Amino acid sequence: MRAIHVGALALILSFAPLAFGQTKSAAPAGGGEDWKTLDHKWLDSERTGDLDYLDKFFADSYVLVFPNGLTYTKAQWLEILRGPDRPTLLVLNPENIQAHVFGNVAILTDHTTIKGHDSKGNSLDGEFNVFRGVIKKNGKWYATGVVMNPDLTKK
Amino acid sequence: MRRTYGLAATILFIIATGTAALGQAPRKAPRKVDEEDVAATAAVLDHVWLNASHNSDGDTMDWLFADDFIEIHPGGLLADKRQQIDQIRNPQGAPLDIRPTDIQVRYASPDAAVLTDTTIIHGKSGDVTYDGQFRVIRVFSKLHGRWRAAGAGIARITAQ
Repeated sequence: MRAIHVGALALILSFAPLAFGQTKSAAPAGGGEDWKTLDHKWLDSERTGDLDYLDKFFADSYVLVFPNGLTYTKAQWLEILRGPDRPTLLVLNPENIQAHVFGNVAILTDHTTIKGHDSKGNSLDGEFNVFRGVIKKNGKWYATGVVMNPDLTKK
Repeated sequence: MRRTYGLAATILFIIATGTAALGQAPRKAPRKVDEEDVAATAAVLDHVWLNASHNSDGDTMDWLFADDFIEIHPGGLLADKRQQIDQIRNPQGAPLDIRPTDIQVRYASPDAAVLTDTTIIHGKSGDVTYDGQFRVIRVFSKLHGRWRAAGAGIARITAQ
């Protein structure tokens, strides 16, 4: 009887290495990240002016490209959001969020609706298809680049 | 009987030791990142990408693009790998005149790189007419030991 117990224990232990070998690839498809939540948190922070979050979430490499090609670095964009010329964003809503994950870098695409105005009252309303690059460092995702384009595909 | 238990205990010890060794295997000391090498590689791949576009070379793009490649064009059109290659293989008229300038490696790690450039494009590809300057973000990823293009976002420069 004891011999059977010892044999069973040996069998269990012999499977343990297989379990160890599988732990690295146990993450679900998409890297296990809730991309929808990440995208919404990002844009909600831009809309409400949660600059502490954005300062941490934007990588030093962050670059924002507007539909007209104007480009801002992290420091430049945060300065605008902190300053008197910051835009007023009433709606900043991403939909149809798609994630393309490549290990420690991912590209999110979404359709973002904007309603608001700049500091001079000019309308910023529009619908955009947006490219969002994010990188993973020390287990956390950071925004590294955005390219916005007006969505003319429906017209 | 004692010999049997002794033998079983030895086998258990060997298996348990092997388990511990396997658990430690992925925790090798990380190699030091040579960001300059990654940046240089990414800059070369940027040129390979644009040369392939200029030459309507779908085979090179097939080699370069990751399977889940995605690109956003001016006007908001999204193209996956197959659509992008089909567009490149279907030039309208003369080959695209493509000149990248101001290539900047914004981020480089052992398995990812992010570049920006300003690309001057003249010509028509697929149904899209490109005449002007474009601001581009290009993303590269090292997948299974080989660098691949993961995607790009392109915006036409209209601001003065």
